[in-house]
Amino acid sequence: MLYRTAGQFKTSYYADHALFPVRQDAMLLGFILLLAFVVFPMTADEFVFKALLVPVLIYALAALGLNILTGFAGQLSLGTGAFMGVGAYACYKLVSIFPEMNIVVAIALSGFFSAAVGVAFGLPSLRIKGFYLAIATLAAQFFLVWLFEKWAWLYNYNSSGAIQVPNIDMFGVTVAGPNASAVVQYYFVLCVVSLITLLSINITRGRIGRIWKSVRDMDIAAELVGINLMKAKLSAFAVSSYIVGIAGALFVFLWRGAAEPVLFDIPLSFRVLFIAIIGGLGSILGNYLGAILIVALPVVISALPSALGLPVSSATVEHLNTMIIGALIIAFLIIEPHGLARFWAIIREKLIMWPFPH
Amino acid sequence: MKTFLKKTLLPAALLVGTVLSVPAIAAEDAINVTNLSYRTGPFAATGTPLMNGQRDYMLMLNERDGGVNGVKLNYDECETGYNTEKGAECYEKTKATSIVTQPWSTGITLQVLPKSNVDKVPILAPGYGFSPMTDGKVFQWAFNPPATYWDGASMILKAISDGNVENLKGKKIVLLHLDAPYGKEPIPLIQAYADKYGFTFLPIPVGVKEMQNQSAQWLQIRRERPDFVLMWGWGAMNVGAVTEAVKTKFPMDKFVGIWWSGHDGDMKSVGEAGKGYRSLSWSLPDSNSQVMQDIKKYVVDAGKSQIGEGEFDWVFYQRGVLISMFTVEGIKAAQEHFGTKVVNPEQLRWGLENLKLDEAKLASIGMSGMIGPFSTACNNHAGHAGAWMMQWDGGKFAKVSDLLSADQDMIAPLVEAEAKKYAEANAPWPVNEECK
Repeated sequence: MLYRTAGQFKTSYYADHALFPVRQDAMLLGFILLLAFVVFPMTADEFVFKALLVPVLIYALAALGLNILTGFAGQLSLGTGAFMGVGAYACYKLVSIFPEMNIVVAIALSGFFSAAVGVAFGLPSLRIKGFYLAIATLAAQFFLVWLFEKWAWLYNYNSSGAIQVPNIDMFGVTVAGPNASAVVQYYFVLCVVSLITLLSINITRGRIGRIWKSVRDMDIAAELVGINLMKAKLSAFAVSSYIVGIAGALFVFLWRGAAEPVLFDIPLSFRVLFIAIIGGLGSILGNYLGAILIVALPVVISALPSALGLPVSSATVEHLNTMIIGALIIAFLIIEPHGLARFWAIIREKLIMWPFPH
Repeated sequence: MKTFLKKTLLPAALLVGTVLSVPAIAAEDAINVTNLSYRTGPFAATGTPLMNGQRDYMLMLNERDGGVNGVKLNYDECETGYNTEKGAECYEKTKATSIVTQPWSTGITLQVLPKSNVDKVPILAPGYGFSPMTDGKVFQWAFNPPATYWDGASMILKAISDGNVENLKGKKIVLLHLDAPYGKEPIPLIQAYADKYGFTFLPIPVGVKEMQNQSAQWLQIRRERPDFVLMWGWGAMNVGAVTEAVKTKFPMDKFVGIWWSGHDGDMKSVGEAGKGYRSLSWSLPDSNSQVMQDIKKYVVDAGKSQIGEGEFDWVFYQRGVLISMFTVEGIKAAQEHFGTKVVNPEQLRWGLENLKLDEAKLASIGMSGMIGPFSTACNNHAGHAGAWMMQWDGGKFAKVSDLLSADQDMIAPLVEAEAKKYAEANAPWPVNEECK
């Protein structure tokens, strides 16, 4: 009823290729964008911006980057955290060397640094596959974090070894640093994330995306039909690392405000990988669903007892949190091994039929 | 097809979040003190006694005196697990209600420090954090009483050279430190000492992942044959280091830790073999003092405490008590100065800046001899209290030195330079011009 697609005829190829061929999908997206752009900024307070909205968007972006590599092109990577670090440190150096540079330009450029590093560490993918490739990217993880610690030039010889984001203005508004207001940072992140999501949707459903998918499904067959494997794999590494690098720059500049090298260590890579896997590999929507489950839900759960007035100590809540999230991850993967995005797709199929299944 | 409904669950999660984040309305005549605790995670063993001590002192005041001058203290915790990300989240959650932020890790301190000027909530980092924070003109909202890591490094160097650093000439000193902002803190100062007094200084980092297996580091120490090993360790790193030192037969009396490396629980694992290990401490446990007896009477015996067997006598538990005392004394000073009962964060800032903890004051709150007397001022947010050397006798830590004091001639120029560097890197950074 709510999701009836009957009667929506396509009379041209153009209409058939639209981003949202089903009207309800477009309406739903419009509603969510309305929420994200208008309703949340008006209702949320600083805590909601800084602990829920901004981190969900940034983690979703990082997972999107990884998903392009792992979900669309089939190359397993465990180096996401380190590539985020490359983006963050590149952005830090750009901003400190050229203080008058616009922050958008700095973030966009820092993506190229991580893309270059990603391609370099992606070279082994031409010879090795699967778990062996994952180990090769693990090397990137160890090496880069070590580099962030030891190469003092990267953090401007700061005695604590950490990087701190200065106040950065853009058109007279402070967007990064301690003086920036949360709502401005939220809008900034939201715009960047929306833009990159839109680009990713179009890349993945176009020619390049189909090349990646064919490599993922069977690389020998792909090679036989004339696809250049080297180009396909390296371009996936480049695009993926570019997005991950931008996510890293946003992570430090628009959210954390300061970072130490250990932040970009393996736990971050795993976190992003979990988001991508639980959300659904080879999907774009999944990254957002996964980020909500992994990033936002623990925050909500930890705020629950005090909001309900339950006398539970915060350490106990933290233990409960770990258990609940763990159980939920297992539960979701048992119900739908292909991730939350697939779960939604099934619900949608059912809704289209409802209430008259054949 | 997969892109519609980008954030289906987001609205639901967020609506819940918005509702939940509305702060609970504080009861009349109460002051909220929220602590960013870490009773979980890799450093829980050292964190728990500290948190218990902080909690119990405030509970005791509420039970014994009905709070501070009639105002109850609402002690609360926000669990971080020593994780910087959770810490920043807790900071956002508590800054509106708590009158003080206690970040509890150098990483979280660095994260919240730049925001302190904007949010106007004082940061209290007793005995940790960024050493240049002692420059109150630059770091108006940050306090690290009673002593900074640089004070600690200076006192340790004095103690191992029998009071005269000249004696270290030609010697070799290794700093075994956690490879994190915390562990790197003393390096610039010890380096300055090494340059001036002509000893060899070698920092050996221990990565967070290799805390429990330090065989590589201790192999290096054996090869280098240093005259002294100083340690800036934390949590599992302390146990790892002491165990390795015992295994490699390093002479324990040449091994000295900072105040966070003197935890009873860590030393218990080696027991007798750790005999001779020294640790600097700005607090002396004294279970018979008035304050500890009151805590025993009103909190522990009343079954309100969370402490475990024997924890009452621990250095870290009683240090937690002292840490809460700083907050409470700050509140008292502010109440008196502003003539109000329920102080706000800005008034507490003034209070923390005007702490006067002399012998008489310490005696009046029942803490004589548990901490060296000190006072803070607008240009001195640490107070630079002295500290004692404690030595492990196989079963507990015992005081083995008189009150040591740091050599401010070495420290002050470095503080000024580093604070200036920080302010410049974070421009525009407001500096307290009124303070001379």
